Amino acid sequence: MMDDGLVVVASGLVKRYQSVMALAGLDLGIRRGEIFGLIGPNGAGKTTLIRAIVGALQPTAGSVRVLGLDPIADRWQLRRRLGYMPQQPALYPDLTTHRNVAFFAAAHSVHANSGPVQRTLELVDLVDRADDPVRTLSGGMRQRVSLACALVHEPELLILDEPTAGVDPELRATFWQRFREMANRGTTVVVSTHQMGEALECDRVALIRAGKVVAAEGPGRLFRSRRATVRLDDGNGERRIDLDDYERQLPALMHESSAARVTIEMEPLDDIVLRLIREGEE
Amino acid sequence: MAVMRNTLAQLAGDRRFVIVSTVVPVVVIYLLSVFWDALNTPLVEQSRFAVPAGAFIVHFVTYVLTAIVLVRERVAGTMERMFISGYRPGEIVAGYLGAYTLLATLQSIVILLVLTLLFDLGLGLGGTLEVYVVMWLMAVVSLALGMLVSNFARNEGQVFPFVPLVMMPPVFLSGMIVAIDALPTWAQTVSWAVPLRYAVDVIHEITDGGGLADAWAPLIMLPALAMVILFLAARTLREEV
Repeated sequence: MMDDGLVVVASGLVKRYQSVMALAGLDLGIRRGEIFGLIGPNGAGKTTLIRAIVGALQPTAGSVRVLGLDPIADRWQLRRRLGYMPQQPALYPDLTTHRNVAFFAAAHSVHANSGPVQRTLELVDLVDRADDPVRTLSGGMRQRVSLACALVHEPELLILDEPTAGVDPELRATFWQRFREMANRGTTVVVSTHQMGEALECDRVALIRAGKVVAAEGPGRLFRSRRATVRLDDGNGERRIDLDDYERQLPALMHESSAARVTIEMEPLDDIVLRLIREGEE
Repeated sequence: MAVMRNTLAQLAGDRRFVIVSTVVPVVVIYLLSVFWDALNTPLVEQSRFAVPAGAFIVHFVTYVLTAIVLVRERVAGTMERMFISGYRPGEIVAGYLGAYTLLATLQSIVILLVLTLLFDLGLGLGGTLEVYVVMWLMAVVSLALGMLVSNFARNEGQVFPFVPLVMMPPVFLSGMIVAIDALPTWAQTVSWAVPLRYAVDVIHEITDGGGLADAWAPLIMLPALAMVILFLAARTLREEV
Protein backbone atom coordinates (compact mmCIF):
# COMPACT_ATOMS: atom_id res chain seq x y z
CA MET A 1 0.00 0.00 0.00
CA MET A 2 1.14 3.52 -0.82
CA ASP A 3 1.01 6.11 1.97
CA ASP A 4 -1.59 8.72 0.92
CA GLY A 5 -0.58 8.61 -2.74
CA LEU A 6 3.06 9.10 -1.90
CA VAL A 7 5.49 7.10 -3.99
CA VAL A 8 8.46 7.69 -1.69
CA VAL A 9 8.14 8.22 2.05
CA ALA A 10 11.22 8.74 4.22
CA SER A 11 10.88 9.15 7.99
CA GLY A 12 13.71 10.07 10.30
CA LEU A 13 16.20 8.61 7.82
CA VAL A 14 19.75 8.40 9.19
CA LYS A 15 22.88 7.17 7.44
CA ARG A 16 26.17 7.40 9.27
CA TYR A 17 29.57 6.58 7.74
CA GLN A 18 31.91 6.32 10.74
CA SER A 19 32.14 9.93 11.95
CA VAL A 20 30.22 11.41 8.98
CA MET A 21 26.46 11.83 9.24
CA ALA A 22 25.32 11.71 5.59
CA LEU A 23 21.60 11.69 6.45
CA ALA A 24 20.59 13.17 9.77
CA GLY A 25 16.94 12.28 10.38
CA LEU A 26 15.57 13.18 6.94
CA ASP A 27 11.79 13.31 6.34
CA LEU A 28 10.37 13.41 2.84
CA GLY A 29 7.29 12.54 0.78
CA ILE A 30 7.22 12.35 -3.02
CA ARG A 31 3.90 12.26 -4.88
CA ARG A 32 3.01 10.10 -7.85
CA GLY A 33 3.57 11.71 -11.26
CA GLU A 34 5.52 14.73 -10.07
CA ILE A 35 9.02 15.89 -10.93
CA PHE A 36 10.65 16.17 -7.56
CA GLY A 37 13.98 17.95 -7.28
CA LEU A 38 16.60 17.27 -4.65
CA ILE A 39 18.62 20.44 -4.46
CA GLY A 40 21.58 21.22 -2.29
CA PRO A 41 25.30 21.81 -2.24
CA ASN A 42 27.81 19.02 -2.78
CA GLY A 43 27.92 16.69 0.21
CA ALA A 44 24.41 17.66 1.36
CA GLY A 45 23.25 14.04 1.27
CA LYS A 46 21.40 13.94 -2.07
CA THR A 47 23.21 10.90 -3.45
CA THR A 48 23.01 9.06 -0.12
CA LEU A 49 19.25 9.65 -0.09
CA ILE A 50 18.96 8.35 -3.64
CA ARG A 51 20.99 5.26 -2.79
CA ALA A 52 18.70 4.63 0.19
CA ILE A 53 15.66 4.95 -2.09
CA VAL A 54 16.99 2.43 -4.62
CA GLY A 55 18.07 0.02 -1.85
CA ALA A 56 21.78 0.35 -2.52
CA LEU A 57 22.52 1.10 1.11
CA GLN A 58 21.09 0.14 4.46
CA PRO A 59 20.04 3.16 6.53
CA THR A 60 21.52 3.40 10.01
CA ALA A 61 18.11 4.37 11.42
CA GLY A 62 14.69 5.54 10.30
CA SER A 63 12.65 4.12 7.46
CA VAL A 64 12.04 4.59 3.77
CA ARG A 65 9.19 3.11 1.71
CA VAL A 66 9.26 3.24 -2.07
CA LEU A 67 6.17 2.31 -4.13
CA GLY A 68 4.90 0.81 -0.87
CA LEU A 69 7.91 -1.48 -0.58
CA ASP A 70 10.97 -1.71 1.65
CA PRO A 71 13.98 -0.95 -0.61
CA ILE A 72 16.17 -3.51 1.16
CA ALA A 73 13.79 -6.35 2.05
CA ASP A 74 11.80 -6.08 -1.21
CA ARG A 75 14.67 -4.91 -3.40
CA TRP A 76 14.14 -7.31 -6.31
CA GLN A 77 10.42 -6.58 -6.46
CA LEU A 78 11.08 -2.85 -6.29
CA ARG A 79 13.85 -2.81 -8.87
CA ARG A 80 11.54 -4.14 -11.56
CA ARG A 81 9.55 -0.93 -11.16
CA LEU A 82 12.21 1.75 -10.95
CA GLY A 83 14.79 3.23 -13.27
CA TYR A 84 18.05 4.62 -11.95
CA MET A 85 20.61 6.87 -13.58
CA PRO A 86 23.72 7.18 -11.41
CA GLN A 87 25.91 10.26 -11.17
CA GLN A 88 28.72 8.71 -13.22
CA PRO A 89 27.50 7.30 -16.55
CA ALA A 90 28.27 3.67 -15.46
CA LEU A 91 28.34 2.30 -19.00
CA TYR A 92 30.49 -0.21 -20.89
CA PRO A 93 32.81 1.95 -23.02
CA ASP A 94 33.81 -0.83 -25.44
CA LEU A 95 30.22 -1.79 -26.18
CA THR A 96 27.94 0.02 -28.59
CA THR A 97 25.19 2.38 -27.52
CA HIS A 98 22.57 -0.18 -28.54
CA ARG A 99 24.24 -3.01 -26.62
CA ASN A 100 24.53 -0.92 -23.47
CA VAL A 101 20.84 -0.04 -23.56
CA ALA A 102 19.87 -3.61 -24.51
CA PHE A 103 21.90 -5.04 -21.61
CA PHE A 104 20.07 -3.01 -18.99
CA ALA A 105 16.78 -3.67 -20.81
CA ALA A 106 17.43 -7.43 -20.59
CA ALA A 107 17.42 -7.20 -16.78
CA HIS A 108 13.72 -6.36 -17.16
CA SER A 109 13.10 -9.04 -19.81
CA VAL A 110 12.95 -6.41 -22.56
CA HIS A 111 14.44 -7.95 -25.70
CA ALA A 112 17.40 -6.25 -27.43
CA ASN A 113 15.61 -5.86 -30.78
CA SER A 114 12.25 -4.97 -29.31
CA GLY A 115 10.24 -1.77 -29.68
CA PRO A 116 11.16 -0.28 -26.28
CA VAL A 117 14.91 -0.32 -27.02
CA GLN A 118 14.41 1.33 -30.40
CA ARG A 119 11.91 3.85 -29.02
CA THR A 120 14.25 4.78 -26.17
CA LEU A 121 17.14 5.36 -28.58
CA GLU A 122 14.84 7.62 -30.59
CA LEU A 123 13.75 9.42 -27.43
CA VAL A 124 17.34 10.30 -26.51
CA ASP A 125 18.13 11.03 -30.15
CA LEU A 126 20.90 8.45 -30.52
CA VAL A 127 19.57 6.22 -33.31
CA ASP A 128 22.35 7.32 -35.65
CA ARG A 129 25.01 6.48 -33.01
CA ALA A 130 23.41 3.18 -31.96
CA ASP A 131 26.22 1.06 -33.44
CA ASP A 132 29.11 3.18 -32.19
CA PRO A 133 31.11 2.16 -29.10
CA VAL A 134 30.26 4.38 -26.14
CA ARG A 135 33.94 5.37 -25.78
CA THR A 136 33.65 7.26 -29.08
CA LEU A 137 30.73 9.40 -27.85
CA SER A 138 30.93 12.85 -26.29
CA GLY A 139 30.21 13.38 -22.58
CA GLY A 140 26.70 14.65 -23.31
CA MET A 141 25.94 11.67 -25.54
CA ARG A 142 27.11 9.29 -22.82
CA GLN A 143 24.71 10.99 -20.42
CA ARG A 144 21.96 10.36 -22.95
CA VAL A 145 22.93 6.68 -23.22
CA SER A 146 22.90 6.47 -19.44
CA LEU A 147 19.44 8.05 -19.36
CA ALA A 148 18.25 5.59 -22.01
CA CYS A 149 19.47 2.67 -19.87
CA ALA A 150 17.44 4.01 -16.94
CA LEU A 151 14.16 4.44 -18.77
CA VAL A 152 14.18 1.67 -21.40
CA HIS A 153 11.79 -0.51 -19.35
CA GLU A 154 9.37 2.40 -18.80
CA PRO A 155 9.61 2.46 -14.99
CA GLU A 156 6.97 3.89 -12.67
CA LEU A 157 9.63 5.73 -10.74
CA LEU A 158 12.67 7.26 -12.39
CA ILE A 159 15.55 8.31 -10.15
CA LEU A 160 18.22 10.50 -11.70
CA ASP A 161 21.34 11.49 -9.80
CA GLU A 162 22.66 14.73 -11.29
CA PRO A 163 21.66 13.78 -14.85
CA THR A 164 22.64 17.14 -16.29
CA ALA A 165 26.09 17.43 -14.69
CA GLY A 166 28.56 18.38 -17.42
CA VAL A 167 25.80 18.74 -19.99
CA ASP A 168 25.56 21.82 -22.25
CA PRO A 169 22.53 24.16 -21.87
CA GLU A 170 20.84 22.98 -25.08
CA LEU A 171 21.01 19.33 -24.09
CA ARG A 172 19.97 20.20 -20.55
CA ALA A 173 16.79 21.80 -21.92
CA THR A 174 16.14 18.64 -23.97
CA PHE A 175 16.59 16.47 -20.88
CA TRP A 176 14.09 18.53 -18.90
CA GLN A 177 11.64 18.38 -21.77
CA ARG A 178 11.92 14.56 -21.69
CA PHE A 179 11.44 14.48 -17.91
CA ARG A 180 8.31 16.60 -18.27
CA GLU A 181 6.93 14.32 -20.98
CA MET A 182 7.49 11.30 -18.75
CA ALA A 183 5.86 12.98 -15.76
CA ASN A 184 2.89 13.86 -17.96
CA ARG A 185 2.54 10.16 -18.73
CA GLY A 186 2.40 9.38 -14.99
CA THR A 187 6.05 8.55 -14.25
CA THR A 188 7.36 9.97 -11.00
CA VAL A 189 10.72 11.59 -11.66
CA VAL A 190 13.16 12.28 -8.83
CA VAL A 191 16.10 14.42 -9.92
CA SER A 192 19.06 15.53 -7.83
CA THR A 193 21.05 18.53 -8.92
CA HIS A 194 23.31 21.17 -7.52
CA GLN A 195 22.35 23.53 -10.35
CA MET A 196 19.86 25.73 -8.59
CA GLY A 197 18.29 26.99 -11.80
CA GLU A 198 16.95 23.51 -12.48
CA ALA A 199 14.70 23.82 -9.42
CA LEU A 200 12.38 25.95 -11.55
CA GLU A 201 11.75 22.94 -13.81
CA CYS A 202 10.47 20.80 -10.95
CA ASP A 203 6.94 20.48 -9.57
CA ARG A 204 8.34 20.44 -6.05
CA VAL A 205 11.78 20.85 -4.65
CA ALA A 206 13.45 19.69 -1.45
CA LEU A 207 16.36 21.79 -0.28
CA ILE A 208 18.80 19.46 1.43
CA ARG A 209 21.55 20.57 3.74
CA ALA A 210 23.69 18.46 6.08
CA GLY A 211 21.50 15.40 5.59
CA LYS A 212 18.19 17.11 6.34
CA VAL A 213 15.37 18.62 4.29
CA VAL A 214 15.30 22.30 5.19
CA ALA A 215 12.43 23.19 2.84
CA ALA A 216 10.15 21.25 0.48
CA GLU A 217 7.94 23.43 -1.70
CA GLY A 218 6.94 24.17 -5.25
CA PRO A 219 9.60 26.38 -6.87
CA GLY A 220 7.07 29.23 -7.23
CA ARG A 221 6.53 29.36 -3.48
CA LEU A 222 10.18 28.71 -2.74
CA PHE A 223 11.49 31.58 -4.84
CA ARG A 224 8.56 33.94 -4.24
CA SER A 225 10.52 36.16 -1.88
CA ARG A 226 13.28 36.83 -4.38
CA ARG A 227 15.54 39.77 -3.58
CA ALA A 228 16.59 42.33 -6.17
CA THR A 229 18.66 45.45 -6.54
CA VAL A 230 17.01 48.23 -8.54
CA ARG A 231 19.02 51.12 -10.03
CA LEU A 232 16.96 54.18 -10.87
CA ASP A 233 18.51 56.85 -13.10
CA ASP A 234 16.54 60.12 -13.43
CA GLY A 235 19.27 61.90 -15.40
CA ASN A 236 20.86 63.54 -12.35
CA GLY A 237 22.51 60.42 -11.03
CA GLU A 238 21.82 56.83 -10.14
CA ARG A 239 19.94 55.69 -7.02
CA ARG A 240 20.30 52.11 -5.80
CA ILE A 241 17.49 50.42 -3.87
CA ASP A 242 17.67 46.90 -2.39
CA LEU A 243 14.34 45.09 -2.32
CA ASP A 244 13.79 42.20 0.13
CA ASP A 245 10.69 40.99 -1.69
CA TYR A 246 10.97 41.90 -5.35
CA GLU A 247 7.56 40.57 -6.41
CA ARG A 248 5.64 42.64 -3.83
CA GLN A 249 7.78 45.80 -3.65
CA LEU A 250 8.73 46.44 -7.29
CA PRO A 251 5.25 47.47 -8.60
CA ALA A 252 4.92 50.08 -5.85
CA LEU A 253 8.43 51.38 -6.49
CA MET A 254 7.83 51.70 -10.23
CA HIS A 255 4.58 53.51 -9.56
CA GLU A 256 6.35 56.14 -7.42
CA SER A 257 9.45 56.52 -9.55
CA SER A 258 9.91 58.93 -12.43
CA ALA A 259 13.31 57.54 -13.43
CA ALA A 260 14.18 57.60 -17.11
CA ARG A 261 16.20 54.43 -16.84
CA VAL A 262 15.64 51.44 -14.56
CA THR A 263 18.04 48.51 -14.14
CA ILE A 264 16.99 45.46 -12.12
CA GLU A 265 19.49 42.92 -10.85
CA MET A 266 17.75 39.84 -9.58
CA GLU A 267 19.19 37.82 -6.72
CA PRO A 268 20.85 34.78 -8.33
CA LEU A 269 19.00 31.52 -7.72
CA ASP A 270 22.09 30.03 -6.12
CA ASP A 271 22.07 32.84 -3.54
CA ILE A 272 18.36 32.34 -2.87
CA VAL A 273 18.86 28.67 -2.27
CA LEU A 274 21.78 29.27 0.05
CA ARG A 275 19.76 31.93 1.91
CA LEU A 276 16.76 29.61 2.20
CA ILE A 277 19.01 26.85 3.47
CA ARG A 278 20.49 29.20 6.11
CA GLU A 279 17.00 30.40 7.11
CA GLY A 280 15.80 26.79 7.27
CA GLU A 281 18.66 25.87 9.57
CA GLU A 282 17.85 28.80 11.86
CA MET B 1 22.73 -15.35 -20.13
CA ALA B 2 22.53 -11.57 -20.61
CA VAL B 3 25.52 -10.99 -18.30
CA MET B 4 27.53 -13.66 -20.13
CA ARG B 5 26.68 -12.22 -23.57
CA ASN B 6 27.54 -8.75 -22.33
CA THR B 7 30.87 -9.88 -20.86
CA LEU B 8 31.77 -11.75 -24.06
CA ALA B 9 30.94 -8.64 -26.07
CA GLN B 10 33.21 -6.63 -23.78
CA LEU B 11 36.01 -9.12 -24.29
CA ALA B 12 35.50 -8.97 -28.05
CA GLY B 13 35.63 -5.17 -27.86
CA ASP B 14 38.74 -5.14 -25.68
CA ARG B 15 41.16 -7.01 -27.96
CA ARG B 16 44.16 -5.66 -26.12
CA PHE B 17 43.00 -7.41 -22.96
CA VAL B 18 42.50 -10.72 -24.78
CA ILE B 19 45.89 -10.46 -26.50
CA VAL B 20 47.71 -9.55 -23.28
CA SER B 21 46.04 -12.36 -21.35
CA THR B 22 47.16 -14.93 -23.92
CA VAL B 23 50.52 -13.50 -25.03
CA VAL B 24 51.91 -12.78 -21.54
CA PRO B 25 51.75 -16.46 -20.45
CA VAL B 26 53.48 -17.44 -23.71
CA VAL B 27 56.34 -15.02 -22.99
CA VAL B 28 56.65 -16.32 -19.42
CA ILE B 29 56.77 -19.94 -20.64
CA TYR B 30 59.43 -19.03 -23.17
CA LEU B 31 61.52 -17.47 -20.37
CA LEU B 32 60.92 -20.62 -18.36
CA SER B 33 62.30 -22.75 -21.20
CA VAL B 34 65.37 -20.48 -21.41
CA PHE B 35 65.84 -20.88 -17.65
CA TRP B 36 65.42 -24.67 -17.95
CA ASP B 37 67.99 -24.92 -20.72
CA ALA B 38 70.46 -22.85 -18.69
CA LEU B 39 69.87 -25.05 -15.66
CA ASN B 40 70.76 -28.08 -17.78
CA THR B 41 69.85 -30.68 -15.15
CA PRO B 42 69.21 -34.28 -16.14
CA LEU B 43 67.98 -35.10 -12.61
CA VAL B 44 64.46 -33.76 -13.03
CA GLU B 45 62.15 -34.78 -15.82
CA GLN B 46 61.10 -31.82 -17.99
CA SER B 47 57.43 -32.69 -17.82
CA ARG B 48 57.43 -32.87 -13.98
CA PHE B 49 58.82 -29.35 -13.93
CA ALA B 50 57.24 -27.65 -16.93
CA VAL B 51 53.65 -28.85 -16.76
CA PRO B 52 53.02 -27.77 -13.13
CA ALA B 53 54.74 -24.47 -13.99
CA GLY B 54 52.28 -24.08 -16.89
CA ALA B 55 49.37 -24.78 -14.54
CA PHE B 56 50.74 -22.18 -12.15
CA ILE B 57 50.95 -19.58 -14.94
CA VAL B 58 47.31 -20.27 -15.90
CA HIS B 59 46.41 -19.96 -12.22
CA PHE B 60 48.27 -16.69 -11.78
CA VAL B 61 47.19 -14.89 -14.94
CA THR B 62 43.54 -15.94 -14.74
CA TYR B 63 43.28 -15.03 -11.09
CA VAL B 64 44.85 -11.58 -11.41
CA LEU B 65 42.98 -10.61 -14.60
CA THR B 66 39.60 -11.73 -13.27
CA ALA B 67 40.07 -9.87 -10.01
CA ILE B 68 41.13 -6.66 -11.78
CA VAL B 69 38.34 -6.79 -14.37
CA LEU B 70 35.68 -7.23 -11.71
CA VAL B 71 37.08 -4.48 -9.50
CA ARG B 72 37.17 -2.23 -12.58
CA GLU B 73 33.48 -2.98 -13.03
CA ARG B 74 32.84 -1.99 -9.44
CA VAL B 75 34.84 1.24 -9.72
CA ALA B 76 33.09 2.20 -12.99
CA GLY B 77 29.74 1.83 -11.25
CA THR B 78 28.44 -0.77 -13.70
CA MET B 79 28.37 -3.45 -10.99
CA GLU B 80 26.06 -1.34 -8.82
CA ARG B 81 23.99 -0.44 -11.85
CA MET B 82 23.59 -4.12 -12.72
CA PHE B 83 22.27 -4.77 -9.24
CA ILE B 84 19.89 -1.81 -9.24
CA SER B 85 18.66 -2.84 -12.68
CA GLY B 86 17.62 -6.14 -11.15
CA TYR B 87 20.46 -8.54 -11.99
CA ARG B 88 21.02 -10.90 -9.06
CA PRO B 89 24.40 -11.96 -7.57
CA GLY B 90 24.09 -15.56 -8.84
CA GLU B 91 23.31 -14.33 -12.37
CA ILE B 92 26.28 -11.94 -12.32
CA VAL B 93 28.74 -14.56 -11.03
CA ALA B 94 27.46 -17.21 -13.47
CA GLY B 95 27.64 -14.73 -16.37
CA TYR B 96 31.22 -13.77 -15.65
CA LEU B 97 32.19 -17.37 -15.04
CA GLY B 98 30.71 -18.44 -18.38
CA ALA B 99 32.41 -15.70 -20.37
CA TYR B 100 35.81 -15.87 -18.70
CA THR B 101 35.80 -19.66 -18.84
CA LEU B 102 35.81 -19.32 -22.61
CA LEU B 103 38.83 -17.03 -22.36
CA ALA B 104 40.50 -19.43 -19.92
CA THR B 105 39.82 -22.29 -22.34
CA LEU B 106 41.64 -20.42 -25.08
CA GLN B 107 44.43 -19.50 -22.69
CA SER B 108 44.91 -23.10 -21.50
CA ILE B 109 45.09 -24.35 -25.10
CA VAL B 110 47.73 -21.75 -26.01
CA ILE B 111 49.81 -22.47 -22.91
CA LEU B 112 49.72 -26.21 -23.43
CA LEU B 113 50.65 -25.84 -27.10
CA VAL B 114 53.62 -23.66 -26.23
CA LEU B 115 54.70 -26.05 -23.46
CA THR B 116 54.53 -28.93 -25.94
CA LEU B 117 56.63 -27.00 -28.45
CA LEU B 118 59.30 -25.76 -26.05
CA PHE B 119 59.64 -28.75 -23.72
CA ASP B 120 60.06 -32.44 -24.26
CA LEU B 121 56.97 -33.49 -22.34
CA GLY B 122 56.72 -37.02 -23.73
CA LEU B 123 53.04 -37.23 -22.82
CA GLY B 124 51.44 -38.41 -26.04
CA LEU B 125 48.02 -37.19 -27.19
CA GLY B 126 46.08 -38.86 -24.39
CA GLY B 127 48.35 -37.50 -21.65
CA THR B 128 48.32 -34.03 -23.20
CA LEU B 129 44.51 -33.99 -23.27
CA GLU B 130 44.42 -35.15 -19.64
CA VAL B 131 46.80 -32.36 -18.66
CA TYR B 132 44.55 -29.96 -20.56
CA VAL B 133 41.56 -31.03 -18.43
CA VAL B 134 43.56 -30.30 -15.26
CA MET B 135 44.74 -26.89 -16.52
CA TRP B 136 41.21 -25.96 -17.55
CA LEU B 137 39.83 -26.94 -14.15
CA MET B 138 42.63 -24.95 -12.51
CA ALA B 139 41.64 -21.95 -14.64
CA VAL B 140 38.04 -22.23 -13.41
CA VAL B 141 39.24 -22.36 -9.79
CA SER B 142 41.39 -19.28 -10.47
CA LEU B 143 38.42 -17.43 -11.98
CA ALA B 144 36.40 -18.19 -8.88
CA LEU B 145 39.26 -17.02 -6.63
CA GLY B 146 39.60 -13.81 -8.65
CA MET B 147 35.88 -13.15 -8.26
CA LEU B 148 36.00 -13.82 -4.54
CA VAL B 149 39.01 -11.56 -3.94
CA SER B 150 37.52 -8.76 -6.08
CA ASN B 151 34.63 -8.57 -3.62
CA PHE B 152 37.03 -7.38 -0.93
CA ALA B 153 38.79 -4.69 -2.97
CA ARG B 154 37.37 -1.21 -3.49
CA ASN B 155 39.73 -0.31 -6.34
CA GLU B 156 42.29 -1.89 -8.65
CA GLY B 157 45.15 -0.94 -6.30
CA GLN B 158 43.63 -2.96 -3.48
CA VAL B 159 43.80 -6.11 -5.59
CA PHE B 160 47.59 -6.15 -5.49
CA PRO B 161 48.08 -6.90 -1.76
CA PHE B 162 45.95 -10.00 -2.36
CA VAL B 163 48.25 -11.18 -5.17
CA PRO B 164 51.15 -12.41 -2.99
CA LEU B 165 48.68 -13.61 -0.36
CA VAL B 166 46.94 -15.88 -2.85
CA MET B 167 49.81 -16.63 -5.25
CA MET B 168 52.86 -17.23 -3.03
CA PRO B 169 51.52 -20.23 -1.04
CA PRO B 170 50.99 -22.24 -4.27
CA VAL B 171 54.64 -21.70 -5.23
CA PHE B 172 55.92 -23.32 -2.04
CA LEU B 173 53.04 -25.51 -0.86
CA SER B 174 51.73 -27.16 -4.02
CA GLY B 175 54.52 -29.68 -4.58
CA MET B 176 55.56 -27.78 -7.70
CA ILE B 177 59.11 -27.08 -6.45
CA VAL B 178 59.49 -29.20 -3.31
CA ALA B 179 57.60 -32.43 -2.59
CA ILE B 180 54.87 -31.87 -0.03
CA ASP B 181 56.08 -34.84 2.02
CA ALA B 182 59.38 -33.02 2.57
CA LEU B 183 57.65 -29.99 4.13
CA PRO B 184 57.13 -29.54 7.89
CA THR B 185 53.84 -30.92 9.23
CA TRP B 186 52.18 -27.52 9.60
CA ALA B 187 53.02 -26.64 5.99
CA GLN B 188 51.64 -29.99 4.81
CA THR B 189 48.41 -29.17 6.66
CA VAL B 190 48.19 -25.70 5.10
CA SER B 191 48.79 -27.19 1.65
CA TRP B 192 45.35 -28.84 1.76
CA ALA B 193 43.90 -25.34 1.33
CA VAL B 194 46.00 -24.62 -1.77
CA PRO B 195 44.07 -25.47 -4.98
CA LEU B 196 47.24 -25.83 -7.08
CA ARG B 197 48.33 -28.71 -4.82
CA TYR B 198 45.53 -30.87 -6.24
CA ALA B 199 46.34 -29.87 -9.82
CA VAL B 200 50.04 -30.71 -9.29
CA ASP B 201 49.10 -34.05 -7.70
CA VAL B 202 47.09 -35.01 -10.79
CA ILE B 203 49.73 -33.67 -13.21
CA HIS B 204 52.47 -35.67 -11.49
CA GLU B 205 50.30 -38.78 -11.73
CA ILE B 206 49.96 -38.18 -15.50
CA THR B 207 53.64 -37.35 -16.08
CA ASP B 208 54.59 -40.48 -14.09
CA GLY B 209 52.62 -42.58 -16.57
CA GLY B 210 49.25 -42.77 -14.83
CA GLY B 211 45.96 -41.21 -15.88
CA LEU B 212 43.11 -39.13 -14.53
CA ALA B 213 41.38 -42.20 -13.14
CA ASP B 214 44.42 -42.93 -10.98
CA ALA B 215 44.25 -39.46 -9.46
CA TRP B 216 40.50 -39.13 -9.09
CA ALA B 217 40.64 -37.90 -5.49
CA PRO B 218 42.74 -34.74 -6.09
CA LEU B 219 41.02 -34.32 -9.48
CA ILE B 220 37.58 -34.12 -7.95
CA MET B 221 38.84 -31.56 -5.46
CA LEU B 222 39.29 -29.00 -8.26
CA PRO B 223 35.61 -28.67 -9.32
CA ALA B 224 34.58 -29.08 -5.68
CA LEU B 225 36.81 -26.17 -4.65
CA ALA B 226 35.59 -24.12 -7.62
CA MET B 227 32.00 -24.61 -6.50
CA VAL B 228 32.73 -23.71 -2.89
CA ILE B 229 34.67 -20.58 -3.91
CA LEU B 230 31.96 -19.55 -6.42
CA PHE B 231 29.32 -19.97 -3.74
CA LEU B 232 31.36 -17.73 -1.43
CA ALA B 233 31.90 -15.23 -4.27
CA ALA B 234 28.14 -15.01 -4.93
CA ARG B 235 27.44 -14.67 -1.19
CA THR B 236 29.97 -11.90 -0.68
CA LEU B 237 29.24 -9.95 -3.88
CA ARG B 238 28.39 -6.47 -2.59
CA GLU B 239 26.51 -3.63 -4.21
CA GLU B 240 28.26 -0.89 -2.29
CA VAL B 241 31.64 0.32 -3.50
